[in-house]
Amino acid sequence: MIETLIRNFPLVAAVVLMGIGLYILIFKRNLIKIVMGITILSSSVNLFLVTLGYRTGGIAPIYTDAPEGLMVLPVVQALTLTNIVIAVATSALILSLVIRIYRHTGSLDSKKSRRMKG
Amino acid sequence: MATLIEHSSILIIAVPLLIAFLTPLIGMASKKARNAVVIVGLSFVAFLVFALARDVILNGIHTYTLGATSPSLTIPEGAMMPIRIILEVDGVSVFMGIVVAIVSLVAVVYSLSSMKGETGQNRFYTLLLLMVAGAFGMVFTGDLFNLFVFLEITSISGAALVAFKTRFADSQEGGFKYIVVSAVASLMVLFAISLLYAQYNLLNIGALAAAMQYTMLDRIALVILIAAFAMKLGGVPMHMWLSDTYSVAPVSITVLLITVSQASMYALMRIGFILYGVTLDLAVVGWIIIAIGILSMFIGVTMAVRQTDITRLIAYNCVCESGFMLVGFGVGLAVLGNHTALRTYGTTAISGAIFHMINHALFEGLLFLVAGAIFYRIGTRDLNRMGGLGHTMKFTAAFFLLGALASSGLPPFNGFASKILIYESVYQFNPVLTIIGILVSIITLAVFVKAFFSAFTGAVLPKYEDIKEVPKTMIAAMTIFAVIIIIFGLFPGLIVDWIVRPATDALVDQASYINTIMGAIP
Amino acid sequence: MTLIAESGYEFWNPIIWLITFAVVMVIVYFFRKRGVEKYKKGEDQTKIFLCGEEVPGAEQRQVRGGNVYWGFFETLKEYYDGIVRLHTGIVNDYVVWFVAVMAISAIILLIVKLVG
Repeated sequence: MIETLIRNFPLVAAVVLMGIGLYILIFKRNLIKIVMGITILSSSVNLFLVTLGYRTGGIAPIYTDAPEGLMVLPVVQALTLTNIVIAVATSALILSLVIRIYRHTGSLDSKKSRRMKG
Repeated sequence: MATLIEHSSILIIAVPLLIAFLTPLIGMASKKARNAVVIVGLSFVAFLVFALARDVILNGIHTYTLGATSPSLTIPEGAMMPIRIILEVDGVSVFMGIVVAIVSLVAVVYSLSSMKGETGQNRFYTLLLLMVAGAFGMVFTGDLFNLFVFLEITSISGAALVAFKTRFADSQEGGFKYIVVSAVASLMVLFAISLLYAQYNLLNIGALAAAMQYTMLDRIALVILIAAFAMKLGGVPMHMWLSDTYSVAPVSITVLLITVSQASMYALMRIGFILYGVTLDLAVVGWIIIAIGILSMFIGVTMAVRQTDITRLIAYNCVCESGFMLVGFGVGLAVLGNHTALRTYGTTAISGAIFHMINHALFEGLLFLVAGAIFYRIGTRDLNRMGGLGHTMKFTAAFFLLGALASSGLPPFNGFASKILIYESVYQFNPVLTIIGILVSIITLAVFVKAFFSAFTGAVLPKYEDIKEVPKTMIAAMTIFAVIIIIFGLFPGLIVDWIVRPATDALVDQASYINTIMGAIP
Repeated sequence: MTLIAESGYEFWNPIIWLITFAVVMVIVYFFRKRGVEKYKKGEDQTKIFLCGEEVPGAEQRQVRGGNVYWGFFETLKEYYDGIVRLHTGIVNDYVVWFVAVMAISAIILLIVKLVG
């Protein structure tokens, strides 16, 4: 059991990071911390994706002057790059919205920027 | 013309993207030219969608392989599985394409006068066209990661558009909530997609459906996908962001956001019916979706009766109508393995839910456009401050009445047609669901009677004495929706035979979806 | 013609709907034609009559939107108090509900796998 945990350490780290990200999103009230939680969640999914492609003893998936051997999977690396770009766009948008909320309401507490029912 | 139809699926996604990035350049020169280019572009896209719809309904599923020598070469020579991004357009994709095309055209016509006087209009049209391109991409793609990318495109541009009028504090907050909810849902969707990729080394929906064995990790991926897409479409208990976001956005954007929620429901159904198909525990997953649907119907409408803000009221009604569609789809999914039940009432339930998707976009769109017209004239959305507007805003009042009667499911409007399909089929599955549905429809009528009474009837209040009717382009946009509502209501049989039945047949027919990709290899 | 459901008991004909609408419009027109045309607008003939009492202005007379259906809300007071308290509007609670739905569905599917 400990053996499999240590051998698959990056996957365990990805799941732990996802747990940390969801914990921040559930329990922290500061809007900037919520943005950080989303970024950590995105990093955890990126780590999970890259780890999926790893083959033991593999080399980088480039064909030019490639030595002999197994190559790691390149598809997941493309997926990860796409996700990094999407995370950049999301962070830029969400931080600009946080600046606007601060200018309008003067506070960064998510409990104060809410709208009641009725 | 034949080559135009052959390449139409990629043109429908590419033309809005191209015009989105040309719009700031043209807008620097002249405003009228920019508006004309946007409307002409979206009309061309609508023409392509209708041509593609006719071709798909007559000739079968239409694939487009990006980067291959010919569009239908899905598996290259000597390979065993598809390796490129493939757009696969079947009956239900082209149905959603029709919804997006009609709604986007009406939204742009409406925003010609509702956005007058705002700064940064070039960026508004760019973001709107990006959102439309994202919605088309979501419904036409046959590849899971492509679905994720277009989902993110739609969410980011949608959130930027919700917060577009930066002088209001609550629209910033609505945009923030929308992007947080969308980011969490999309990241969990990517996690589920990577779980599926880890097991089967495939990203194409058709190829994955052929290779699917329902292991433990597949169950985890299914649960994550259902929860994430249910959050994106506003299913209770994850529906609270919907009323915050839809009430503060500019109204032409709200109408498009409804379409994006429908696209999320399309994605959920694609995953349930086609990706997993009959390998699921059909009864359990079907009942989970039915449970989310029943909660959405009930809590949506009881919260709607209580609101005093008119757009918030209509947004909670959107939650309620999503519940109807979820119940229809859930019943269809629960009986997918049982051939006699599927033929007797399963396909009728799915047809009712699919027909309700376009009806929902039409009548909720009309109601939101009317609420936007009221806000345009008097500057407030609070029902406690309105009164007697029906004396001068006659057309607006008539359209609100039309939308309200259609939403409650009264004949001869289109809400009745789709709701009777859902009631009759769901009754044969479990009578309690139909009884709850009919009660909820009655309370829906009560909700809109309250809104109509407060806003339009009564004596003219002294501060609203010189309110005129809204500009002509807004009336034109509302008229398009109203005419389509009346036509769909009077001739439901034609619409069901032409576009809804092919969509239903495409959704329950997993085998032809797989064979189009994998080439009928035995 | 143009039936949609398959129970075999229904009848739907759009021409009949249009003819009914036209007939009702004709009847409404005849009712309006029998009305009195010569009345003085703005005088006592068109004013509101409240048993001889003072009629308040439009601002006080209008029943506001928030007061409609008071009886319905009073009857369901406990339900509404609970539900409105759940809709807090805080973003963190939205994520809590998402995780809760994921967890409950996962537990249900796991139990089904272990049992069935």
